[in-house]
Amino acid sequence: MSPLNITTRDAGTGPVLEISGELDYANVSALQKRLDGLTLRQGQRLVLDMRGLEFCDSSGITALLAARGRAEAVQAEIALAAVPANTLRVLRIVGLDQIFTIHPDSETATRP
Amino acid sequence: MMCRADQHPEPQDADAEKVADAAAFAALLEDGAEDLYENAPCGYLSTLMDGTIAKINTTLLHWLGLERDEVVGRMRFTDLLTVGGKLYHETHFAPLLSMQSEISGIALDLKQTGGGRIPVLVSSAVKHGTTGQPLMIRTTVFDARDRRAYEEELLRRREAAEEARRRAEADRTRLQEALAVLQQSLLPDTLPEVPGVRTAAHYHTASPDRLGGDFYDVFAIDGKRFGFFLGDVCGKGPQAAALTSLTRYTLRAAALHDPDPVSALTTLNRVLHERYTGSGDPRYCTAVYGTLEPDPGTGTLAVHLASGGHPPAVVLRADGTADFLPTPGGLLVGILPTARFTTATTVLGPGDTLLLYTDGLTEARTGQDRTGLYGDEALLAFLTAHAGRPPHSVIEALTGLLDSFGDGLDDDTALLAIGVPTADDPRTRNER
Amino acid sequence: MGIASRNHVTVTGNPQGRPVVLAHGFGCDQNMWRLTVPALADDHRVVLFDYVGSGRSDASAFSEERYSSLEGYARDVVEVCEALDLRDAVFVGHSVSAMTGVLAAAEAPERIGALVMVAPSPRYIDDEGYRGGFSAEDIDELLASLEANYLGWSAAMAPLIMGNADRPELGDELKNSFCATDPDMARVFARTTFLSDSRDDLKSVTVPTLVLECTQDVIAPREVGAFVHAAIHGSTLVTLDATGHCPHLSAPDATNRAITDFLASL
Repeated sequence: MSPLNITTRDAGTGPVLEISGELDYANVSALQKRLDGLTLRQGQRLVLDMRGLEFCDSSGITALLAARGRAEAVQAEIALAAVPANTLRVLRIVGLDQIFTIHPDSETATRP
Repeated sequence: MMCRADQHPEPQDADAEKVADAAAFAALLEDGAEDLYENAPCGYLSTLMDGTIAKINTTLLHWLGLERDEVVGRMRFTDLLTVGGKLYHETHFAPLLSMQSEISGIALDLKQTGGGRIPVLVSSAVKHGTTGQPLMIRTTVFDARDRRAYEEELLRRREAAEEARRRAEADRTRLQEALAVLQQSLLPDTLPEVPGVRTAAHYHTASPDRLGGDFYDVFAIDGKRFGFFLGDVCGKGPQAAALTSLTRYTLRAAALHDPDPVSALTTLNRVLHERYTGSGDPRYCTAVYGTLEPDPGTGTLAVHLASGGHPPAVVLRADGTADFLPTPGGLLVGILPTARFTTATTVLGPGDTLLLYTDGLTEARTGQDRTGLYGDEALLAFLTAHAGRPPHSVIEALTGLLDSFGDGLDDDTALLAIGVPTADDPRTRNER
Repeated sequence: MGIASRNHVTVTGNPQGRPVVLAHGFGCDQNMWRLTVPALADDHRVVLFDYVGSGRSDASAFSEERYSSLEGYARDVVEVCEALDLRDAVFVGHSVSAMTGVLAAAEAPERIGALVMVAPSPRYIDDEGYRGGFSAEDIDELLASLEANYLGWSAAMAPLIMGNADRPELGDELKNSFCATDPDMARVFARTTFLSDSRDDLKSVTVPTLVLECTQDVIAPREVGAFVHAAIHGSTLVTLDATGHCPHLSAPDATNRAITDFLASL
């Protein structure tokens, strides 16, 4: 199993979190902590770049919802980018593909 | 010897000094034997084979606070000991000495005349005569006050640690019992009998310490219809259990009010969203809820269900096929104030079985290195192989499958199968 | 598991002879009889054993409940007799074991046909009109001594710290010192021994009985020997000119002579 790795960078549109490895019950708190420490302002767009995400279970889904709640609280947007097929399948099952904007890659996601 | 750095000694001075040193050393040695015996930093004692004291050194007399003539020829070794020490001497020390001719490092207490006691370590050896007959016992006694105090401290710590361990163990057992009772309360004891329908269920608990968040139930709605549901709440532990409880009772109450599947899930959605929004701890669940309506005329069972974010059910047909019953686009229950749920319907004929499951099954890790997931395709293939079997038999096969995952299955898993018996099914009761 | 390995049963001597069962008391194990066995071996089938919790018995068979009363130890005796199918055996018990023999003879009269009680005591603690030699506090002191020596013995200390699994040879060393038992089991045996009161059981004895006492014995003083002798109808009392509680070790010749004379008289 690959460890979870999260890096943060700033795009013109707002913060971008690149999440790679496996996101599950055991390490989801690392993502939560990173989200809590994020500076996010009104009108910005938080992008979660999931290109390197190999696995995401229901705990990961909870983290995505928490990120969405955080963005809503400051009237910012949230978008997912480069969602791998298996995670996209999970998002579809739980209906989240309807409430998250999903971009093919982070470049599209960070266009103003 | 000190070095006299300020002057050079004459050679003859050095020789004289050596002679003087040697004389002092010899004097010390000559004095040694007797003086060392009497004033050694340990007690010496010689006794006859029956324990009568024949010789004792000054150090030991001093420790005991006794005069030599009170002791020699008048007391036995055991007379110097406390009662506990006497018992120990008779039951352990003396037999061992007799069998081994020597014994060392035994902890005993000496009685002092003032009523005090000195912890000591005692070693004894038997002196034998030329023909091998035992003549006397030589005993050395070491002051062990510091050492015994230290050992007693160790003992106390060991006892305290033992006690703490016992208490923790008892607490843990109690907690596990409480958790098991709670867990039981989240699931039905038995499934009710549904006329003309067979049901079976299984619950796999991943860890007895982590209250699970999967749930299922089957219940009567009115004279004709029965309700059923199965789902998975987010998270683990007490909060998840509370959410499970709220979900279960909300669904049952909602079904009695309006048994329509979308309506029941919508009520649940509103309840969960209101309960957890703004709590700083958003919680949600996935659920399939549905109704069963037997048609006594045709012997079939009409199933109406709706899904909120839950994996699709599978229908196993009597003809040996199996297919997902897709419910795409149904949203997780409780995350938004209003949510869309997706419905599906099917009719089960004799020998058909509907299977509901939680994602513990499809997300079990497989393969030697546990990197693969069991997945939808493998599940469908497995179920196809079991199509045509009655619910209890399908559940039995799946339970075996779950067991075969071993430590690859680290999540709770709930299974619920609902089927219509074939005409030749001799069973008249529902299976759990 | 078989009784033979549970109680580390050793059978020696003349297979045709009348069986003699030698039972150790509190403290050590069957090695206590090493000077007695040669005197009996020619004419008797000699059976030695360790009570569960002592010597080389199987410690896993120990149960605090069973061995908290002398009846538990008496069960060991009866079970050893049954395992070897002994009949009409002579039971030789030292100290508390003399009383165990009384209980065993009452439970299985066909197995035990005579008793030799070496330094027996039916009650160690003083009572109204009875002098056993000890007070209840003295017994607490003994229990403290047991604890102290559990630590005091370096050989016992080592496995406590290191765990037996890593250095099994330390465990062996421990077993070789005959009187070293697990302190928890020793404590149970000590408590059972010194808090027992078997005075009433003495009256049940109907088999020929030899009572051996020592002139100087702090554990079983002469008053106690006289008490036992008086309570067992028709018993023989022999006072050995010996000091201590273990005449079979400290005065083996006199002890052996008294036992063989008694055996010859049966």
